[in-house]
Amino acid sequence: MSTNPARVELRIPSRPEFVGVARLAVSAVASRMDFDYESLDDIKLAVGEACTNAIQHASPGQVEEITICCQMEEGRLVIEVLDRGLGFDPAGCPKEPDTELHSHGYGLLLIQALMDEVECKSSPGGGTLVRMVKRLSR
Amino acid sequence: MELQVKWREVGKGTAVMDVSGEADLYTTPKLKERVVELIEAGYTRLVVSLSSLDYLDSTALGVLVGSYKRVREKGGTLVLVGPRPRIRKVFEITRLVNVFDIFDTEEQALDSLGAGG
Repeated sequence: MSTNPARVELRIPSRPEFVGVARLAVSAVASRMDFDYESLDDIKLAVGEACTNAIQHASPGQVEEITICCQMEEGRLVIEVLDRGLGFDPAGCPKEPDTELHSHGYGLLLIQALMDEVECKSSPGGGTLVRMVKRLSR
Repeated sequence: MELQVKWREVGKGTAVMDVSGEADLYTTPKLKERVVELIEAGYTRLVVSLSSLDYLDSTALGVLVGSYKRVREKGGTLVLVGPRPRIRKVFEITRLVNVFDIFDTEEQALDSLGAGG
């Protein structure tokens, strides 16, 4: 399917009740392309995890926003989730499940497994950008 | 969509929880609250039915793992029932399929606990 390039940008308050808004909006954008249901579910979860991560690293007491940009391109959807929060060290996140049983730290692992390309730029105090690409399978 | 958590006693110290809707950063505190209440009330053998759950994220995984660890410390366990393929996929990616016993039916789960069907 040929996709005319298009860009959709959404800004949400950095609060838990808006994570669902972001994932549904991005899923709606993705459904304008030719993604199958499983890929739409992957995209929803990956966006949800990126927004969750942004909220969990928000500066305490600050009213912040998360910006979600969807770039529809030929054969792929590029999604960027940007926050101005505290940032974190992506190197500290597990890329593979380890043998210890943790009750946190699964978010980035899921994003990396669900999306075709993932890039995470973050620095303590400098906010975070998570850039994800999902390619159409056909 | 909201998260609904219902529970019922099926034996001494054994409870079945039906979790439906969407479990994410916003709704998961409700799940955590209910599980903690049950564990504190002495229910240490928990069957968590996910068959009506449409969405589960890493924060909900965290609550399940934390609850699992808590009941294990008390000599109990926590097993899962009937996750849809998209939910099961989350457990597979994180390899938590190797931690949780996941059953197709509630009856199988209760049999595994020796709690009858």
